[in-house]
Amino acid sequence: MSEGAGKKATYNLPIGPIHPALKEPILFTFKMDGEVIQEVDFAPGKAHRGVEWMGMRRNPVQIVHLTDRICGICGVSHSLAFARTVEQIAEIEVPERAHYVRTIIQEFERIQSHILWAGVAAHELGFDTLFYLAWRVREESLDVIEYLTGNRVNYGIIQIGGVRRDFTSDQFPRIEASLKYYEDLLGKLLNLFLDDKSIGLRCRQCGVLSRDDALRLCTVGPTARASGLNMDVRQDSPYAAYGDLDVRAVLPDQYLSGTNGDVYDRIVVRLLEVPQSIGIIRQCLDQMPPGEVLWETKYAKILATCKKAVGEAVGRVEAPRGECLHYVRMDGNSNPHTWKVKASTYSNQMAWLKILQGEQIADIPIIIASIDPCMSCTDRVAIVREDGTDVLTKEDLTRLSVEKTRRLMQ
Amino acid sequence: MKFLPTVAEVLRQITKTPATNIFPAKYLPPSITGFLRSVGEGKASIHPPIGTPPKFRGKITYDRDTCTGCKLCIRVCPANAIEFLPETKRVRIYVTQCVFCSQCNDACPTGSLVMSDEFLLATEDRYAEEMIVE
Amino acid sequence: MITLIDLLMIVVGTIFVAGFGIVAGLCIFGIDRKFAAHMQARIGPPIRQPFIDVMKLLCKDSVIPENAVPSIFNWAPVVALASSIVILLYLPLGSIMPVLGGLSGGYGDLILVMYLLTVPALAMVAGGFASGSPYATVGSQREMVTMMAYEFPLAVVIIAIAWRLSMAGMAEPFSLATIAGLTTGVPIWGVVGPVGILGCIILMVVLAWVTPAEVSRVPCDTPEAETELCGGLLVEYSGRNLAMFYLAQAVKTVAMASLAVAIFLPWNISWYVAMPAPAAVVVDFIFYLVKVVVVVFFSVSLIRVSMARFRINHLVTIYWGYLAGLGIIGLLLIMLDAFIKGGIVI
Repeated sequence: MSEGAGKKATYNLPIGPIHPALKEPILFTFKMDGEVIQEVDFAPGKAHRGVEWMGMRRNPVQIVHLTDRICGICGVSHSLAFARTVEQIAEIEVPERAHYVRTIIQEFERIQSHILWAGVAAHELGFDTLFYLAWRVREESLDVIEYLTGNRVNYGIIQIGGVRRDFTSDQFPRIEASLKYYEDLLGKLLNLFLDDKSIGLRCRQCGVLSRDDALRLCTVGPTARASGLNMDVRQDSPYAAYGDLDVRAVLPDQYLSGTNGDVYDRIVVRLLEVPQSIGIIRQCLDQMPPGEVLWETKYAKILATCKKAVGEAVGRVEAPRGECLHYVRMDGNSNPHTWKVKASTYSNQMAWLKILQGEQIADIPIIIASIDPCMSCTDRVAIVREDGTDVLTKEDLTRLSVEKTRRLMQ
Repeated sequence: MKFLPTVAEVLRQITKTPATNIFPAKYLPPSITGFLRSVGEGKASIHPPIGTPPKFRGKITYDRDTCTGCKLCIRVCPANAIEFLPETKRVRIYVTQCVFCSQCNDACPTGSLVMSDEFLLATEDRYAEEMIVE
Repeated sequence: MITLIDLLMIVVGTIFVAGFGIVAGLCIFGIDRKFAAHMQARIGPPIRQPFIDVMKLLCKDSVIPENAVPSIFNWAPVVALASSIVILLYLPLGSIMPVLGGLSGGYGDLILVMYLLTVPALAMVAGGFASGSPYATVGSQREMVTMMAYEFPLAVVIIAIAWRLSMAGMAEPFSLATIAGLTTGVPIWGVVGPVGILGCIILMVVLAWVTPAEVSRVPCDTPEAETELCGGLLVEYSGRNLAMFYLAQAVKTVAMASLAVAIFLPWNISWYVAMPAPAAVVVDFIFYLVKVVVVVFFSVSLIRVSMARFRINHLVTIYWGYLAGLGIIGLLLIMLDAFIKGGIVI
């Protein structure tokens, strides 16, 4: 079909803001030559909800549950990152046991997020059987999360200075049953996803992100690891209980013979992180120290401590999609002066421009989905102007950033 | 089938009971409200929802007798769903605004706020009588 | 030549076959959805769901996009549905003779059926190009490529069978009545020897794989690809027009399955069990429906739940390369069989 490409007229193909290939609103504009993509552009910002604005009108104890709502899938990652910033600013010592509870719930979140993604990826490939299968087996992790925290999606378990619910030893058999379930299932999942010829045909050598590009574009999480970058916040700068545990970044060459950085490798990395999470939860259950899970049970005292806190801090967490970063600045008021959320998709989205280049229309959905985008995590800015200009150049953005930094420095 | 492992899997699944949760009925009734009406009259039966785990966070319950009006719940509520009533020194909770974090339960010094197991809370009226707890 | 009675018979027969095609097609869709749902561990919609869908679509407005060509846009669904029904007129339904193209003096044969099978697809292509949407245009281009891809393996299958029958000395080998053994009582399996049976099995597999492409279901639904083109060439269609395309696809599914039944599973119960003629027609017809369901299960439902969608270039490679190659192997085996049986005269 590429024959005579020079003579054929190109045409524009819009995908989005609402399209079956996209699970969240974002606008892609493709310049196409036949079935082949020539140029890519995308416009995020369609899912902006003003979460940071809401946060700056609330105190940290309220915000920690607002952060659950930043993302529907990786709620606990945002809460944890935010709680860690406030704990650093207020110099709160988190009890040892709370660290383990946080780790367990984060790993369960990773299991459900990766299996959810696997289902979405299968659906994008037109393989609905695997989509139903993946989402069916994901139920187990949601059930266990509901059993442990009381909620299925927005767990609401993190608190400034610890966690709100302890995992008691009588709950361990249920957790162990769930881990066993996933362990038994894993062989089947790997077989169905990775040995399938029709998936291999669609995903191998598709959406390739080389190691250098992954490094240059600052990708994070499974997207970066699938390109061979050995990076994982849990391994590189451990938080919660990860320092005590054996955590090593999952790389595709642990399963395949080499690293290609294609969509197939991203499937491999995400699926292999499920057994890794099972192992981490097992270690946590074995090593969990006794003690309290919250440094202070009186909420009035938590509120007062947060109000007194002055300073700034950054909290980094390895969310299922990659590094999630929160910046908070407190100035002695009950509400934070500044709160900045940088979700993992924000780092990964620029990779789209690279990996969509030269691919076919048929691969657009799976390539877009392959970085596991979460637009409502990412969209932190919406420009509302009367003259209707909503495109900012690099110079505009630099100027605005400098101005904002100056404001923060005051 | 080594190339297409799913073939064996789907053939295995065809004989098994489907995983679908058949709540409230196996097939979509021609009219949901009509179906619910006939359930109410006892003419049809509803397939029950799956039970809730212990310490589930459902609709909030409020014991106004033990409440001291300390307003701590209002300060910790992320959704601003709790309103203070100055004349009686009690609170009013808007369930349609509530995000079910149960933080007010933890904060309440007298234990006047507790989450129940009730979760079928869909409504068309944000200010319906059963959606306001006081 | 044609008497008034004949003409009347044809008209009545056509109406019956059209009604049967639509009802059976929607039932087959319902059954296919039920099978697929259970294979995916779901309950799935009730079998009457396609009827509900069509009723709903018929109640809705047909929106014609601003930059569409209204005449082609509106006529394409009619052509698609009509041509799908016409295919059925040439196919035997159980032991019922085809309405057209029955015994000698019929109006068409398998070659005509092959051409007719492309007409609904061509109507969809025309409708897609007339929609004036980039998605529909891409879908139409893909549909054309798909059509070219699956025509060759299909032609190989048909030619191989008809050639073998003519080698066996049968008159009118391309007539479906002959192929289905209605006139001779001998299907292709009775004609060939052991080598030919192997060849026929290979050809049957090829035909089973052509079916999903012909009725554009996963893995060959590239022209409609829900996640990429959100419906492709059907993206701008709504209401009555969409309902007609839906019906056309349903009828075409029955036609494809009937074709496979006529060529490879033509047995009738009445061949083996003696019974009065009216009872035989009914029993054979029910048996035919069972065979159609079996064919749809294996060549549509099972394939569509166990594979990912092909990219358009993969589709061409697979149909032109692997399936056509497989078809030619089948053809060669059948030729060998003819040599062995000594039925060939050069």
